[in-house]
Amino acid sequence: MTDVSPISTHLRVVGALLVREMATRFGSKPGGYVWALLDPAAHILLMTMIFRAIARAPALGTSFALFFATGYIAFQFYQAMTSYLNSAVRANKALLSYPNVAPIDTVVARFILQVLTTTLVAVIVLGTIVATMRVETNLHWPAILEAGAMACLFGLGVAMINAVLFLRYPLYEQVFNIVNRPLFLISGVFFLPDSIPAPYRELVLINPLVHIIMSFRQGFYPEYRAIGLDMTYLYGIAFLTLFAGMLVFTLSRKTLRNE
Amino acid sequence: MIRFEQATKYARTKGIKKPIIENASLTLNRGKSVGLLGRNGAGKSTLLRLIAGALKLDSGRIIRRGKISWPLGFSGSFQGSMTGEQNVRFVARIYGVNTEELIAYVEDFAELGPFFKAPVGTYSSGMKARLAFGLSMGVNFDYYLVDEITAVGDSNFKKKCQAVFQTKLRDSDLIMVSHSTGTIRDYCDCGVVLEKGKLTYYEDVEDAIRAHDKNMREN
Repeated sequence: MTDVSPISTHLRVVGALLVREMATRFGSKPGGYVWALLDPAAHILLMTMIFRAIARAPALGTSFALFFATGYIAFQFYQAMTSYLNSAVRANKALLSYPNVAPIDTVVARFILQVLTTTLVAVIVLGTIVATMRVETNLHWPAILEAGAMACLFGLGVAMINAVLFLRYPLYEQVFNIVNRPLFLISGVFFLPDSIPAPYRELVLINPLVHIIMSFRQGFYPEYRAIGLDMTYLYGIAFLTLFAGMLVFTLSRKTLRNE
Repeated sequence: MIRFEQATKYARTKGIKKPIIENASLTLNRGKSVGLLGRNGAGKSTLLRLIAGALKLDSGRIIRRGKISWPLGFSGSFQGSMTGEQNVRFVARIYGVNTEELIAYVEDFAELGPFFKAPVGTYSSGMKARLAFGLSMGVNFDYYLVDEITAVGDSNFKKKCQAVFQTKLRDSDLIMVSHSTGTIRDYCDCGVVLEKGKLTYYEDVEDAIRAHDKNMREN
């Protein structure tokens, strides 16, 4: 027996963790996993109503719901991913006492579950909105899928870095949370970066999430020109972060188990 | 067979670095149950986790032939938010054994009644011990790593443990940590004393107990 467990063990463990996560994420609440879908759907609905009361017209198209939901869900692909995956290893600490269970298995299991969950939320919420709109919408799938995939991979990379750094430097966890919180406001969920004047627009465009949301919206609004959208930049940042995350995670395998 | 080759492990907490084992080489052969002795805080439980592979060495290696259980303690391996049954299912899945058979075995052994379907967080330590013990005995291993678990539980539970051990020990070996030398004597053929980062093997468990007692007197 070697120290490297074979692929079949990883697959079994990830499968078992998936079941465990689904069973316990909403634990004692009646309805269980359904809340993973209901919670964000209800949030979007509520925010749309508030948003509609405040603004006169959406920045794109005619539907408040569609404008807000496209921004929110694209953002959610990243945000829900990191907030759920940051604690993947910590939350499963007790289960790491089984030598079969590797720290990476807990991350993989949560990643799969979160991709499926946000995708389902997106299908339910956006599907409902698009189906009930008066004007027929032509979806441009490549842009939507590309944005979703980049958001997931970027989120995975950030979470893998966090899993290690939160353990090593508790102070960093505080700093990350402070920086991460206002992201919702500056990532272009409510506004279009295109409409921001020149010197500030460059600043806003540094944030990769802005590009994710722009690309996602392009899939729903064929007339949207998305000035400043740079897919090369987005791919670069996402894969660089993912690579850094895998590197840090692999180098810290021992620490992740021992703590 | 379990073999340590120049195995080194330090425990690190808040800047304090303490050796658990330093450059230890040792071979444990099949067919003999081992009692692991050492003073409080010497690192006996850490050593069990190293043998299981739930912890990694700093340097050197441990070669393992045969299926080795996880360290069987009364607190460690359960997820408090999962029910007893869910924990059993989880273990059945990760070790690839038949889920329903294992559940039936553990439910019968642990005698938790309705608590079997309640979160493990609500269990008493005796209940956890019964669940942990039944669970690991339901999966077949060549080596069972036992960490003080026989110390908890009432006499009924202890009798039950003994009975299962008697049948298990025909095909499997124990590596056992216990502060009760009586328990070590009952179950083990040979002994290993862990003192100041050194592992010393004794063919006869009585010699190991004597060496351990001598260590204890010296300090």
